[in-house]
Amino acid sequence: MKTIIEVRGATLQALFLIGLCIAMMVVDHRFQHLEIVRTNISLALSPLRYLVSLPATGGNWLSDWFTSHTELLKENEALKSEGRILSARLQKLEILAEENARLRNLLGSSRKIADDVIVAELLSVDQNPYSQLIEINKGSSDGVEMGHAVIDDFGIMGQVIHVNPQSATIILISDPEHAIPVQFIRSGTRSVAFGRGSTRQLELRYLPATADIMVDDELVTSGLGGRFPPDYPVARVTAISEDKVRGFVSVLAEPKARLDSSREVLVIKPRQ
Amino acid sequence: MSQLKYLVIYLSLLVALVLMILPLPDWVQIYRPNWIALTLIYWSMALPKRVGLWFAFFTGIILDTSLGTLLGQHTLPLLLIIYINLNFYQRIRVLALAQQALYVFVLLLIDQVIVAWVEGILGRPTPLPTFFAAPFIGMLIWPWVFVVLRDIRRKALLR
Repeated sequence: MKTIIEVRGATLQALFLIGLCIAMMVVDHRFQHLEIVRTNISLALSPLRYLVSLPATGGNWLSDWFTSHTELLKENEALKSEGRILSARLQKLEILAEENARLRNLLGSSRKIADDVIVAELLSVDQNPYSQLIEINKGSSDGVEMGHAVIDDFGIMGQVIHVNPQSATIILISDPEHAIPVQFIRSGTRSVAFGRGSTRQLELRYLPATADIMVDDELVTSGLGGRFPPDYPVARVTAISEDKVRGFVSVLAEPKARLDSSREVLVIKPRQ
Repeated sequence: MSQLKYLVIYLSLLVALVLMILPLPDWVQIYRPNWIALTLIYWSMALPKRVGLWFAFFTGIILDTSLGTLLGQHTLPLLLIIYINLNFYQRIRVLALAQQALYVFVLLLIDQVIVAWVEGILGRPTPLPTFFAAPFIGMLIWPWVFVVLRDIRRKALLR
């Protein structure tokens, strides 16, 4: 049988711990002080995380193993021809990049052209179905830092929000807490794209009704705010809705990056 | 040696953690029961002296770190349901499994509501229809969790 004193002790303990939790949540949300706790626990749990992503990796490995010879040959052929096309394009691009640099020099602006990148792979996709976080297999020991932009082959995916020695957490641009400064390529209008919690949609709010926007316009990073390097593709406009009363336009856009299916990503290190 | 047998508690929680972070297709995720809560409820019911509030606290922090949520977001509801459990376990322990399952459903729902609350405060409202899915599955799974963990506890001679 429990005595009254025992029950009261448990209640006090519960109240104390619950208070501690609330304090931790506030601190974790506003400041960076708890990052060290998170990092250490993550480090201790990292074998577990690799264990968990093993079935997916194993599945890939098995399907690679059993791919037939002819299929491999076919794939090899396709990759070779793709490689040829890409290298041809690259030559053109290099010439353009040089020309661009020359012109920028002429204009006296010192915008950097190329950024350093780190290639990383996804570990497990985060389990909270309502937030858009992913985990990658490169961390501070590989040079990944907080705030680095992450892209896949098609466009911006997100940015680094937690770094552990061997892994890092990425917040996708589609997370409702995330906003990315963008620019319309065609008209040069600048705006900010917010996530909506769906990997297929971004939203640009409160654009002036007079702004020059059309469906299918391309959005790139504007580089304002200093987090994302400029001129990387972000999204394509899919719908425009006008608020006649308040004179604003809000725009829906579809992210270029394959937020839900890319397995290899690039972390961009800004050059000093 | 006598401390060694308590390892099974940690091992069972480790398995629960793996089940919590195992990647699943999107549409299955909302049905994923809170394995950690289920396991903790069992142990705090069976060994309330050993698995109490501090135990729930540290488990919760580890869960929050692995899920990438705010530190405390899953810990707070775990504390609350373990506290409720510590007050009622003597009455619940003697009930039939089906009746226990109903009680577990209520606890899991409380957990879910608080986690969703915090998400809401952070600006990510949870769609309501998906709300009951995970606790419901948790309720259906409870009898199996109970039987498996009880057998493990008996094998390990824990009491």
